[in-house]
Parts: sequence; C-alpha cells; structure tokens
Amino acid sequence: MRAPPVALRRPARGFSTPALLAYLTVIALLALVPQLTHKPSLLHLWIMVFLAISQGAAWNVIGGYTGQYSVGHAAYFGLGAYITMLLLEMHQVPPWYGLGLAMVGAVLLSVIIGAITFRLRGPYFVLASIAVAEIIRLAALDFRDFTRGAEGILLSGIPPLQLGAHLTIRFVGKQPFFYAALALAVLAVSSNWVVQHTKLGYYFQAIREDQDAAHSLGINPTLHKSIALAISAALTAAAGAIFGLYVRFIDPNIVFSLPDVSVQMVLICIIGGIGTILGPVLGAVVLVLLSETLRNPGWLVQVGVLGEDSTLVDFIEQRLSSAHVLVYGVLVVIVILFAPDGLLGVLRKGLDRLRRRPGASAAPRAAA
Amino acid sequence: MTAILEIKHVSKFFGGLSANSDVSFDVEPGSITGLIGPNGAGKTTLFNCITGYYPPSKGDILFKGERMNGRQPDQVCRLGMARTWQKVRPLAKMTVVDNVMVGALLRTHSLRVAREVAMERLEVVKLADKAGALAGGLPIGERKKLEVARVLATRPELLLLDEVMGGLNPAESEEIILLILELKRLGLTQVVIEHDMKAIMRMSDRIVVLNSGEKLAEGTPQEVAHDPEVVAAYLGEAVHA
Repeated sequence: MRAPPVALRRPARGFSTPALLAYLTVIALLALVPQLTHKPSLLHLWIMVFLAISQGAAWNVIGGYTGQYSVGHAAYFGLGAYITMLLLEMHQVPPWYGLGLAMVGAVLLSVIIGAITFRLRGPYFVLASIAVAEIIRLAALDFRDFTRGAEGILLSGIPPLQLGAHLTIRFVGKQPFFYAALALAVLAVSSNWVVQHTKLGYYFQAIREDQDAAHSLGINPTLHKSIALAISAALTAAAGAIFGLYVRFIDPNIVFSLPDVSVQMVLICIIGGIGTILGPVLGAVVLVLLSETLRNPGWLVQVGVLGEDSTLVDFIEQRLSSAHVLVYGVLVVIVILFAPDGLLGVLRKGLDRLRRRPGASAAPRAAA
Repeated sequence: MTAILEIKHVSKFFGGLSANSDVSFDVEPGSITGLIGPNGAGKTTLFNCITGYYPPSKGDILFKGERMNGRQPDQVCRLGMARTWQKVRPLAKMTVVDNVMVGALLRTHSLRVAREVAMERLEVVKLADKAGALAGGLPIGERKKLEVARVLATRPELLLLDEVMGGLNPAESEEIILLILELKRLGLTQVVIEHDMKAIMRMSDRIVVLNSGEKLAEGTPQEVAHDPEVVAAYLGEAVHA
C-alpha cells in the first residue's frame, strides 16, 4: 500500500486552546466519578483503566515515539512495585517517598538495561529486552532473603498521609487509589504530549524512522534512546508502585510477568494506535474492559449491563477466562490485519471519510 | 588559503579487503570537489570515514584543522560537516517540513525557529509546496531535494553529496546542478560524488578520481579528462563512445 501523498496527521503545532480545554474538562469529569458512584467494582475498573493508560503511555515514549519495541517493561513495573512495597513493609518508609525512590531506581535500571540492549536493533533489541526482564523476574524469585521469593509481599497497611494541618488521606477503600491512578494517567498522557511537541519528540521520531539518518543530522541516538527509556521506565515504575499498593500483594510472577505486564503494555499501544497521544488511552480502555470481563465477568451483572441469570457470564467464566491470552492474540491479529494504525487510525479514517462525503455539512479542512 | 578539509593518507580495511588505501587530497573553502570513480572504487566508504560512520584504519581526516578521526557522526555534523545518502533516507512517517525541522533543531531548541528555517530551506530546493506531505509518499526526485533541504538545515560549512542525481531524469538533474552551483555562490564548500560525467565536469573546480580504493588522479576537470591513466582506467570507454 502506498503512503498517501498528504499527511493524515497535521504537523505538530502549538497546543490549541480547544484541545487543552477538552483535556481539562475530561480530567475534571473523571475526578467527579467517585462522588457519583460508590460501586467498588466500577471504581476498580476505573483504577485498572488508569493504570493501563499510564503503562501504555509510558511504553509509548520508548516504543511508539522512539521506535524501540521493548517487550521487557515488566522489569520497571516490578521494580517499582518491589521498591515501594519492600521499603514500606521492611523499613516503614511511607509509599509516597517509596514511589519517588521507585522512579529513581527505575531510571538507574533503565540506564543499565539501555547500555546492554541499545547496541542491538530491531528484533534483536526486542529479544534482548525480553531476556533482561526475564532474568530480573527469575532473580526476584531466587533472592528470597531480599524479596521473599515466590512467597511474595503482603501489605499489612498503609500509613495515612497528612497534608497540612487539616487534610488527612487514609488509604482505605478504593477512592484514594482512584485519584492516585488518575493523577499518574494524567502525568503519563501529558508526558506524551510534551514529547510530541518538543525537540525531544522530533529527535525520538527521527530515530524511530531512520537511526542512521538521524545520526547524520547531529542526533546522538544512544543518548536520546536512553532519555526516552528513562522517562518510560520512571512512569512504568510509578504504575507498578500504585498497582502493588492497591492490590496489597505482589509476587515476582505477577509484577514481573511477561504476558500480563510486558506484552500487555505493547498491546495497549498496538490496539489503540502506536505513537499517538490518544492511542494508549483508547487501547487501555478496550484491553482492560476485555481482560476484566474475561477474568471476572460478574462486573457486567453488578453494573447492570447483563441480567442476573445471563448465560454469557457462565460461558465466559467456564470457557474463556483461562484463555485470555488466546483472546488477546486473536485481537492483535485482527488489529494488525485490519487496522494497522490501531483503533485511533480507524476512527480518524472514519472521520475523514465523513468530512469528505459530498453534501456533508462540515466544510473540508483547510490544508495545513 | 588553508584547506577546509584535509584527507591525509586515509586507508580503510574491512578484514583483508582494502576499500580505501592511502587516499590524500585537500578541499579548498568555497570550492566544489568532484569525487569520481567506477562502482566499488571506495567513494562512499571515504564519505563514511569522513563523516564518522567508520573510523579510518590509517591516516587522518582534518576539518578546519581539527582531527575528525574517532568522532561520532552527530559530532561531525555539529562541527559543520554534513552529508546526504546515496540511498535516500526520508523520515517516512513524518511530514516534509518535520523532516527538515529535525535538521534545523541541531542549532536551536525552538520548534518555531526550526520551522522557519525549515521553510526557508524548502524554498531553496523548491519543495515548499509539499511541506505538509508525508516524506514517505514523495517521488524520488523530491526525496533527493528533501535530503538536501534537511542537511542544509543543519547549517553546514561543508556539504558531502553522495549521488544526489542518481535516478533522476535530465530535467530534475539540471535542477540539482543549478542548486549545487547556487549553494557554491552562497559560499558553501561541497564534495560531490556523481556518476554523470557531464554534470561533474561542469560543476567541479577540482576532481579526485578513485579506482580500487586508491587515488588515481587529481586536478581540474580538463587535467583529469586528459590524464592518460584516468582515460585508460575509467573514462576510456566514455571517450571512445
């Protein structure tokens, strides 16, 4: 298929005011959700979506914009969770400090992993990223004295956070985690926006398109890939930390998981649309709804989408829940075959077609 | 006048194979130097050595009197020596103006400034009307122009052009020749690899002939064209044709 002569994407310009207003409105509306519903299953779903958005947007910085398809981001996710949980359980370090240390730790780890894997390109980089993450997972299983191995870490409690004289946040129920996960998602999506609208993003994308050409234009590829990976790793570690604190139990096979963390982060972007700001958001919503439905279809009943006696719930529980990786696989094949630019690409094409239809009320967009 | 680029006894070996052996020549500021030779003569290898993609096995490369050996391509470009690629390398999924902005961002952090510089360079190569198009969708002639605009945006003092006319039709080649001469008029030093003899004779102040990795001859276009060794080794067939 030949590339279209005219750009589908408008060249990046300054942030338009309507887009900024829309973004802020969405954040404000989301912040109201816990005031409107107290259904734990629904809040749980939102938290998982926000964490998935954070992870997808984090991966997007190195995978989407810089073109380095890391399939080993569980290393940073797990490291973030472990640093925060271990510091809290063993040394009573409050998690908001732990989270910061987790991000710093992930950046340091990313420098080491980058030094090893950035010598490689294409599929060799992918394989190396998987190998390094698996080594870390196995190390976490084996160093029992330090990590408690497969036994995992069970959180006994989170101390309340005292903000000023009057505000005390108690980490009970789902609400505090809802806001923590929302804040991280906002940070991660904003980081993608910053990347796309600064010199850094131009350099990342130049490396993605052609590393040798970028090098000849005065870009240091190793330095810029390392910067991209550091940003990505820090955000991923923060997601891991909040995840651990939220579910209160982690073990190496959960937070360092290749299919459930590393691959899932890539899938979020592929399904939504790689290298775009909204792609990971879209991909996260789809993938979380899918995975939560496969794992625990009961939420559909609780929310009222399905009736109590729905046979669909039984079918999913009995037949599909253990096959969720298979379902992902089928979904990825469908997306790659029919929507190589992800769901966002499909939406954009649909909108463009509507605009171009003769007699449509909207005037054709002026050339950029 | 001191040379802007000095190639001193440069050799490059790949295992036992020597791609360049003991090549020396100087490039004067503001001049156009043609680099010619049959396929496999080592022209592109020499470009790769000069711009930091390969370290030379022996010899020195001096740019503005500074030793370039061992410097990375990005450092070489920052110092003011930029190259284009024989096989064009557009940043396919970025727009034409974004491609050129990547070059311009070497000298500024501001996207606004970079966009202005990029549009100026696109005007120079007459590609401004395609600014919003995706680079991957351009035909070959425009890709070559984009390659030149992008490298010009890095504000080079010395430009190394690797077969920018390859694959172009005569009208497009003529445009590129005029562009190269215009850049010379603006004071830019250029080293040009080209297979089109007529074009190279017309543009070059001096010509360096490589054959099997060695420098066969050097001189003005007239001197080179009448050098019996060059005629025998390379131009022979062209002269008799």
